[in-house]
Formats: sequence, C-alpha cells, structure tokens
Amino acid sequence: MSTKTITLGPSQLALEEPMYFRVQTEGEIVAGLDVMAGHVHRGMEHLVMKRNLYQNITLLERLCSLCSNSHPSTFCTAVEEIAAIRIPPRAEYLRTIADEIKRISSHLFNCAVIAHITGRGPLFKQAMEIREIMQDTKESIYGNRMDLAANCIGGVRCDLTPESAGYLAKQMELMKAPLDELFRVYTTDPAIRERSEGVGVLSRQDAAGYAVVGPVARASGIGYDVRKKSPYGAYDRLSFTTVVEQAGDVMARIMVRLREAREAVSIIDQCLADLPDGPVWADTLPEIPAGEAIAKSEAPRGELVYYLNTDGTDMPVRLKWRVPSYMNWDALKTMLHGEHVADIPLIVNSIDPCISCTDR
Amino acid sequence: MTPSHHNPPAPLLRLCRINAGSCNGCDVELAVTASVSRFDVGSLGCGYTEDPAEADIVIITGPLTARVKEKVLHHYAEVPRPKVTVLVGICPISGGVFRDSYAVSGPVDRYLAVDVNIPGCPPHPKAIVAGIAEAAALWRARHDSAPLSQPAVTPEDRDNGATGPVNVRGRMRFNAAACVGCRMCEYVCAGGAIRFDEADNGLTFTLWHNSCALCGLCSHYCPTKALSATGEWHMAHRQEEKYRLVEQGVVPLVPCSGCGTPMLPVAAELLKIGYRGISRETERLKTLCTACRQKESIGGLRR
Amino acid sequence: MMEAQENIAAALGRWTGEEVAVAWRLDRKGVATGWCRLRDAANILPAARAMANLEGRLSMVTAYLPTAAPRTGIREIAYHFDLDGATLTIGIQLPAEGAQVPSITPVFRNADWNEREFMELYDIRVTGHPDPRRLFLDESIEPAAFERLIPYSTFSNGASGKALWERVMADNARKETP
Repeated sequence: MSTKTITLGPSQLALEEPMYFRVQTEGEIVAGLDVMAGHVHRGMEHLVMKRNLYQNITLLERLCSLCSNSHPSTFCTAVEEIAAIRIPPRAEYLRTIADEIKRISSHLFNCAVIAHITGRGPLFKQAMEIREIMQDTKESIYGNRMDLAANCIGGVRCDLTPESAGYLAKQMELMKAPLDELFRVYTTDPAIRERSEGVGVLSRQDAAGYAVVGPVARASGIGYDVRKKSPYGAYDRLSFTTVVEQAGDVMARIMVRLREAREAVSIIDQCLADLPDGPVWADTLPEIPAGEAIAKSEAPRGELVYYLNTDGTDMPVRLKWRVPSYMNWDALKTMLHGEHVADIPLIVNSIDPCISCTDR
Repeated sequence: MTPSHHNPPAPLLRLCRINAGSCNGCDVELAVTASVSRFDVGSLGCGYTEDPAEADIVIITGPLTARVKEKVLHHYAEVPRPKVTVLVGICPISGGVFRDSYAVSGPVDRYLAVDVNIPGCPPHPKAIVAGIAEAAALWRARHDSAPLSQPAVTPEDRDNGATGPVNVRGRMRFNAAACVGCRMCEYVCAGGAIRFDEADNGLTFTLWHNSCALCGLCSHYCPTKALSATGEWHMAHRQEEKYRLVEQGVVPLVPCSGCGTPMLPVAAELLKIGYRGISRETERLKTLCTACRQKESIGGLRR
Repeated sequence: MMEAQENIAAALGRWTGEEVAVAWRLDRKGVATGWCRLRDAANILPAARAMANLEGRLSMVTAYLPTAAPRTGIREIAYHFDLDGATLTIGIQLPAEGAQVPSITPVFRNADWNEREFMELYDIRVTGHPDPRRLFLDESIEPAAFERLIPYSTFSNGASGKALWERVMADNARKETP
C-alpha cells in the first residue's frame, strides 16, 4: 500500500478551489483518504466578531461566491429573530427569488465542471453558456454577477421594478428548454453514464451516519430539504417538489442538481406571479438586543445553520455557522473507498464541495 | 526575424491561475473567460495552461492565507521569467474584506513583484479581460516581439453582454456637497475602504478602490445619498498606480454666521429629508452652528 | 408539537439523570428552536445518546467565551441538534482553565470535525477523540487561537490595514484636492 498526496485545484482552472488529499492506494485503487483542509481558512469566525452586524452582511457574503446569498440572508434572519423584526412579505418573496437564482447558477457551474472532468469539453462550454443567462440576470437585477448584495437587516435592499420583473420572467422562460435538454444529455451521454453510474456510491445508511445534507443526501434517498422541514422566506406559500434519487452515485447527484435547477425556475415563476405589494425593507436602523437565535436555510449545497449570540452591542458575542459541505468531506472516505484513483476528481466534484465555505 | 510572405501568427500567451485562498468568486469568473465566447481570452491571443512552468502570465486570486502561502510561492517560482503577474480581485491586492485576519499573510505584493491589478469583488469578466489585455501588452513590450496579427479587442469593442437593464455596480462616487459627515459609510464598510480625516479646511473623504468590495452598503445607508455607484467596471491598473486609485472629496468647513466657528455645512439633501419645504427661516437657521441654534431656540446651551 | 417537546425533555432527563428544563420558541412560520442547559458537562455524552434515540442529527457545535468569561472563569459549548426540522441547543459550561469534555463521536460520527475544530481554537480538551489533529489552522498559528484573539476583540490589531492606509494617504497628498 502506498500513500500519495493529490492536489486538485490551485492551478487547474475549472476546479476553482485548492484542495489537498492524502490518499492511500493499493495499486490504482483508493484504500484510504485524509482530507487536508484549511487552505482557504481566512479566520472568518474571528473576523465577524471584530466587525459590526452591518459589516458582517458584506463579509459573510464573501465566504463563498457560489452560495453567497444564503450566508447574508440566513445571518440577517438570525438578527431579525433576536430583534423580533418582521420583514415585509414582499421582502420574503424577494429573498426567495435571490436564493433560487443562486441555486440555479451554482448547480449549473457544478454540472459544467463535471462535464470538464469527464472530458466533454463542448458540453462544459455549453453548460457555461446556458449559465450566462443566469449571470446576466444577476448583473441586471442586482448589479453583480456573483455577490448580489441583496440583503440588509430588515429585508432586502433593492426592489424589483415592473421592468425588472418582466425581464426576470423572460430570462426564466429562456432557461426552461436548455435545462430540460441538459438533463437529457447528462443522463443519456454514454461517456458520462459510464463514468458516473455506480461510481462514488454513498448508501442511505452511510449518508445518515455521516449526517450529510443537500443534494448529496437527497441523491442517497434522504429527502431532507430545509425549505420544507423548517420553512422560511416565502417557501411556506410556494409549491415545489423535493427532488430525491436512490442510487447515491455520481449520476444521482447530477440528476438531483439538474432537476432542482428546473424546480427553482418554477419557484421563481410562482414568486413573480404572487409577489405582494409593499415595502421591501423594515425601514429602521433597528436596535438589536441581547439574545441568541438559530436560523437555517437550504443553500445550493444543502442545510446551512447559523447561530448568533448578541449582548446588545452592535458586535456579535459569537457568530457561528455550519455549511452543508462540512459533512461531505468525511463522507468522501466512503465514497472514494475502492474506487479508481483516476475517478477522484469526478467523485470529489460530485459532492459539489465548497472549500471556501468549509475552511472559512 | 526574417519576414515571410505572410504574417506569422503571434505566439499564444499562456495564462496560469493560482488560487491563494479565495472565495472562488474571481475563479468562477476566470473559468468564464475560458469557456464563454463573448468573454473568451482567446480573442486576446491568450489561452490557459494548468502547468505553471509553461505560463507567460500568472494570475493570482485570494488573500494569500497563511496555510497556502508556501505552496503559492512555490507554484509562482515555477513560472519562467520574464513573467507578468496579474492580481484579480481586491483580496490579493489589499487583503480585501479579510485584511488583518490572523490567518491571512497578504497582500501578495509583500512577497512577489506584481504588474497589473484588477480590483473588484469579483470583477466583471469584461474587467478581467481588459486587465489581461493590459498584461499581454506588457508581456509583449518586455519581449519586444511582433505585434498581434489581429488587432487586440478593446473592452469598448465588446458587446456589453447583459441583455437586460444595464446595472453593473461599478466604482463608487462621492458627492461632497451632499455629505453631512455622519460616517455611516465608514461604519458599514466591511472592506475598510473608507476613511475620514479632519483638517482645518474641512472633512476629507477617501475611498480606496483597491479595498472596495463594490457592495454598495455605504450608499444604501447614506442618509443623503452622497455616495452612489457609477457603473464603471474598468479599473485594471498598473501596480505603480495601486495606492492612487482613490475617490476623494472634501466637505469644506464654513464659518457659523452667528459666532464664526467653523462647522460642517448642512446639506440640502439632509433638509429635504426633514422638511417638506425650505423656508427663509430654515435657510437662515442652517447657517448657524449647533451652539448658536440652541441659544436662539432655548436661550442657552444645554449640555 | 407540545407532546413531542415534553417527550424530548423527559428523554434528556432519563438519559442524563438530570432534570432538564427546555425552553421552546416558535418563529412566525412555526419553526421551533429549543434551548436548555446541562448542569454536568460530562452529561453531554448521554444527552447525545438521547438525541440519537429520538432520531436526532448533530447539526453543529459552537464553543465560545461569553463576554463575562474573564470575570466568571466560565466558558460554554452549545451543541445544536436537528429533530426533524426543529433545532435543540444543549449548552454546557466548563471552566476557562483546564476544560475537558467527552467526545460524542461514539454517537455521532460527524462530531469528529466539529470537535477537532473547537480544540484548535479554544483551550478545551476532548477526551476520547479518535483523531485529535489540527484541522483548519496552519501550523504557524499558535493553538487555542481564539483564547488570545477574542478577548481583545475591541482592540483591532489592524497592522496591515494601517500600513496600507498610510501609503494611500501619502500617495494622494500630493494630488490637488477639489
């Protein structure tokens, strides 16, 4: 048995983050795995305690640019819970729209990267081009393609004008056929099927044992979705399916993400149809009393939990969050065990890992 | 070089990206410049390589975490000289929103020579391409090689891309006449990009674009909208300009019409928030300092 | 929901031998968060077994130094469990010096990383941890980083920012300002 250190990332453009693994191999088969974390550790749990609650809105958004909206929106929810602030109904819908837009963009990026890893260059480009519809949408509505700056304590910062709402509806229409087509391609392409079916399997029992969440859990038959279990925003008034697959392999995860992206489009359509009138921001610089709260949301990668403890000042006593990717790393041990070394990049990316989220 | 009967194609400049602990925003947009046709670096005569040893231009993202520092410097050293170094995003340039963390070793120019900075958080792919174009021109100047066989595409030539209402949050602009010196902007700025300095002539406002995350929280909380986003996304600059990329303004002190003490003027925008209309009386009162106003309304100073 | 809430407090009592009072809050959408504290920190292990028995999932672990810690000499760890959408937070108190807590990895596998993480940030020893190595912090950073940094949270080190701003102001002083 030999040990080698494998790095994915620092200079491989399509694998956007640096990850380092120590892999024990028997021949070309993985026998053991050690994840060497911390390369993107920027000390954020410390930084947020040296910044005030307003600065933290922007700081937390930069944990990770793919889940970026989930962090400030969940953080603001925790603050609002402590301060007993009720955000206006229109703001609830707008927060939901922002979260779903990010979900589609994030899932498409992951599918694009998987195409790249399986050597399907043209499909990689095709997925990225389709994703540009979402990027244009974010730029036009929020002013930035990745970090939306959509949230503030008490609601959302920007309203949707009738013009923007019309534009958003048109963009969602443009997404439908391409997403359906991508689903067809990914699930029927022989190269992708061969490399992803039965590969990197996480059984339902193991998924529960590792306490994984999000698409990884749902691809292994665990139908936990925070939007249904612990509703927030407008989700208690929206109709959507929790996408679940049973196979627990790489293909199942691809399928969950593509189907969730398609569901997200219909959620946005519903939000636009049901969008109530009114203000988008509880118009105050609220006083945040001492207290503690838990807030949760379903980020693109799964359940995001925030714990906030305040003492009445404008700086947190403690702010801690646990990202959905956190549990996936340990679960990789099982997913990679017995698999071919050459499949490591594919299996690792099938969990849609977010190192910047995990390392903070 | 002996001329041939047709122009030889310009050498393909190879770009290599090193991730120094970034949030992956800049890296996702770099992936866009490798895959999306309207932002493709191919049109600049550039292409990406995963091997630092083959690179001509090295691109760095992220604030240079303590953990990744040695590895980054190692990869960087593998890039052959003469190389051109480009920093993408405010993180490698100034530490960005992560500056002063115990886990961050940057800014990057403490350890290596930087040529081009592309601020933003993350910068728009158009801005990245413009910065890479600058880096490519610099590389060619250093190598004294033949110019591109096709004209370099300028950022302005490119299709804007966004098909909806154009709304890029570009660099911030400061309007001193509307500023009341409340410093709310400085208070909410996560990037530490705003600073006020009091001087005899007035209150100086400085915003350093290389630390600005373009979040717009400052303009959101400014009561008089003295700060606004301009939509200007092209901010790539040479390293020599790094510290001069600022937005500055002075709110001049004016003498109180009662006692002559220098005071910050009351901005018209502030009055509009408080009053339905501005009367002659309001116009007069606003030229008085707070002490004189108190004396006039309650007959003395209340401490 | 009330019935379930009573069951949870009762289960905790049975497994730990303590009388545990759980305060429940419901937010506007009916999502519940429960809050309780154990008298004996070592009881977190049987409490974890109670959670597992109720099909709970370990969601997150938050170790922290309360504002009054320098005066009281007491630190806290909050263990957050998911109970099918509701979150129960079980808090334990430990001495600021020489804190020690049993690992709950025998019950929840995913406690592994959670415990490794707070061990490198705080001066807390987790007994029985299967793999107590550093996780995120670089070797160059001294252990128990938050013990030193957080009490000084009002004093911003800011060395890097200060130096950079000095350059910015110097480079722009020569410019004409309107």
